[in-house]
Amino acid sequence: MPTDDTFATIDQATWEDLVARFDGRMWAVARAFGLSASDAADAVQGAWLRLVENADAIRDPERIGAWLVTTTRHEAARLSRRARGEVVADLEVPDTSVPDPTAALVDADFGRQVWRRLDLLGEPCRSLIRLYVLHPEARYAQIAVRLDLPVGSIGPTRARCMARLRALVEEEDR
Amino acid sequence: MREEYLLAALRMAAGADPVPERVSAAARAVFGLRVPGGVPAEPVGLPVPPGARSGDGTRPPGVRRFSADGLVIDIETDVAGGRMEVAGQVSPAPGPEARIEVRTPYVGKVRVPSPGGRFAVAGLPPGWVSVVCHRPGHPPVFTRWVHVRP
Repeated sequence: MPTDDTFATIDQATWEDLVARFDGRMWAVARAFGLSASDAADAVQGAWLRLVENADAIRDPERIGAWLVTTTRHEAARLSRRARGEVVADLEVPDTSVPDPTAALVDADFGRQVWRRLDLLGEPCRSLIRLYVLHPEARYAQIAVRLDLPVGSIGPTRARCMARLRALVEEEDR
Repeated sequence: MREEYLLAALRMAAGADPVPERVSAAARAVFGLRVPGGVPAEPVGLPVPPGARSGDGTRPPGVRRFSADGLVIDIETDVAGGRMEVAGQVSPAPGPEARIEVRTPYVGKVRVPSPGGRFAVAGLPPGWVSVVCHRPGHPPVFTRWVHVRP
């Protein structure tokens, strides 16, 4: 990682290291918003472009990972709203001067901890979240058939189950 | 902890839906889009002409204004037939020695601005786009990247 005061002196090799370290997380966060592959690719690319245009302003290279994930989340949220038909500003430059500290936690190691907490949930939460995680393109109707639940209940049940999972994870952190 | 982060971490641990190589390749290529010594032009709100419809209440749809280093760059985008058109104006007119570069992450096109500072480019892939104004004796001025999809 660069040791200069700013990020502006980065070279191609360092940039490629950053891509190798963080693009998987950025992609996973973009897809977690339910974006299509095309929109998720745009969200990830947008975050890298924001890094290029803000290079002079980034003073702490160790926080770049959290900055990239936070910026991806902003871009993904904007594209998600647009996909739902909302009018969104295409010039909305996200304020990521203070990256979300929890963004730095998003990796496979943390994911394994979350899987262990998921196993503590009862049904249908465990199966529903497992299906939703392992099949990003699955529609609610398909999940409803697999779990023998009314299709209209999938969205609310998923939200309730994710809230329980989040509580378990946060409980472990305390 | 945001729900999206939990979901993303679960998928990463399971190896589900890994990042496609084309997305990684595009990320690596972004390094070549730096404008060393360039000055970023920030978005500026445009007044809405009477009777014009506006997506966010501050400007006509499709028109964006940026400003930096004494320059104003207006750009207007449209997508037709799957290709993006970008037209615009630099004010004050930067002169015949200037060059206007309209860039996407995949292709860039350079134009000599008209005496009035106008420029236009067609046939670009939709997605992210930025305009750079190169003037002799001045640092390049580049607009923030704008996302354009039909």
